[in-house]
Amino acid sequence: MTHVPALLARTADFDWRSFVASPLCWALLAGAVGIWLMLPGGGSRVRVAGSLIAAVGLGLLGSLLPQLGDLSTQILFWILAGLTAISAVATISMRSPVYCAIWFALTLLTTAGLFLLQGAQFLGVATMVVYAGAILVTFLFVLMLAQPEGHAYYDRISWGRFAPAVATIAAIIIVGGLTHILTNLDEHSLPHAAAAAVNENRVIHEQHVAKLGGQLFSRHLVSVEVAGTLLLVALVGAIAIVIQGKEKRATDAQARQMAASPGGSSDA
Amino acid sequence: MPDELALLQNYLVVGAILFAVGLIGFLVRRNMIVMFLCAEMMLQGVSVSLVAWGRYHNDWGGQMLTIFIITVAACEAGIGLALILMLVQASGRLDIAFWQDVREEGQPAFVDHAVPEERAEDRVWPRLTPSGIEPVVDQDELSHRSRV
Repeated sequence: MTHVPALLARTADFDWRSFVASPLCWALLAGAVGIWLMLPGGGSRVRVAGSLIAAVGLGLLGSLLPQLGDLSTQILFWILAGLTAISAVATISMRSPVYCAIWFALTLLTTAGLFLLQGAQFLGVATMVVYAGAILVTFLFVLMLAQPEGHAYYDRISWGRFAPAVATIAAIIIVGGLTHILTNLDEHSLPHAAAAAVNENRVIHEQHVAKLGGQLFSRHLVSVEVAGTLLLVALVGAIAIVIQGKEKRATDAQARQMAASPGGSSDA
Repeated sequence: MPDELALLQNYLVVGAILFAVGLIGFLVRRNMIVMFLCAEMMLQGVSVSLVAWGRYHNDWGGQMLTIFIITVAACEAGIGLALILMLVQASGRLDIAFWQDVREEGQPAFVDHAVPEERAEDRVWPRLTPSGIEPVVDQDELSHRSRV
C-alpha cells in the first residue's frame, strides 16, 4: 500500500519544540490532568476542578479540528461531539453505578445523533432502540439485583495510584497520536474520497434503509446467519449459566443441611 | 472533496476520545458493571470510526460491521451479566478485587490500604415528590375489621 509509508513519513519529522508550543500538547495535558482528578479517589472539590480543567482541554482539542462545510453541520457536530466527550468522562467518574449507566445512555444518544449526521439512518435508530433501549436496561436490571444500598466502598477507590495515572497516559497517547497525524495530513496522504453521486449502491441514498437491507441480505448473508446463531447460543448459554448456578446453590444448601444435622435425616 | 476529509478527521477524533475514555474507565474502576459499561463505550468508539470510514470510502462495510457490533454487544451483555450475577451471589458484592486470586502467578496481591470514609455531604439521595391523593383512612377500620 503506497499510502501507509506516506502517513508514517509525516511523523518522522517530529519536532519536540514545536510540539510543546502547539495547542495539541496543552490540550492533551489539560485533558489528562482533568480526567485524572475526576477519577474516583478524590474529594468533591477536586472533581469540580478536574471537570473545569478537562473542559478547557476539550475546547483546545476542538479548536484544532478542521472546519466542516456549512455552519449548521458545524454547530450540530460541535454540540453532539462535545456532549459525547462530556458524558463519556462523566460515565467513568460517577460514584454511583446507576448514574454511570444513565450517563452512558446519554453517550449512546449523542452517538446516535452523530450516526444520523453521517447519513447512517438505520444505525442511528438501531443504536437508540437496541443499545440504549435494551442492553442498557438489562444493565440497570442487574444493578437493581446486585448493587448494595448506598454508595459502596469499591466505587470510591481504585487500584492504588499507579493504575489511574498510567491509564490516563495511555489514553492521551492514543488520542494525541491520532490527532497529531490527522491534523498534519496533506492532500495526498489518504486516498481520495470516492466520488459521490452517481453509483446506485452509494451509501448516501434516498432509500438508504432499503439499500442497506439489500446489501445486508445479499453480500453479507452468511454473517447475518452466523450472528443469528450467535444470538441463539448466547441465549441458551445465559439460561444454562443461571440454571447451573441455581443447582449448585441447591446442592450446597443440601450439603450444609446434611452436615448440620448429626447423622443425617433418617426419615427424609 | 475537502469537506469529506474534514468530516472524516473530526469523526475519527471523536471515536478515539470515546475509545480512550472507555480504556481509562475499564482499567480504573472496580465495579464489575461499570467495567462492562466502559467496554461497551470502547465498542461505541470503534463504531463511530467505522461509520466515518464507510462514508468516506462510499463502502457499506462500515455500517454492516457496526450492525454486527451491536449484535455481538447484546450477546456479550447477556452472558456477561449472567456471569456477574453468579459472582455476586457467591461473593455478595460487585467488587472485582474480591476475585483477585485468579491473577497471574508471581503477581503480588492488591491490598486496600485505606478506604476513605464517605463524607456526610456526599450522602445525598434523589427525592421523589409525593404524588397522588392520600386515601381517607377510617380509624375504626384500622383497628377492627367489620367485614371480612
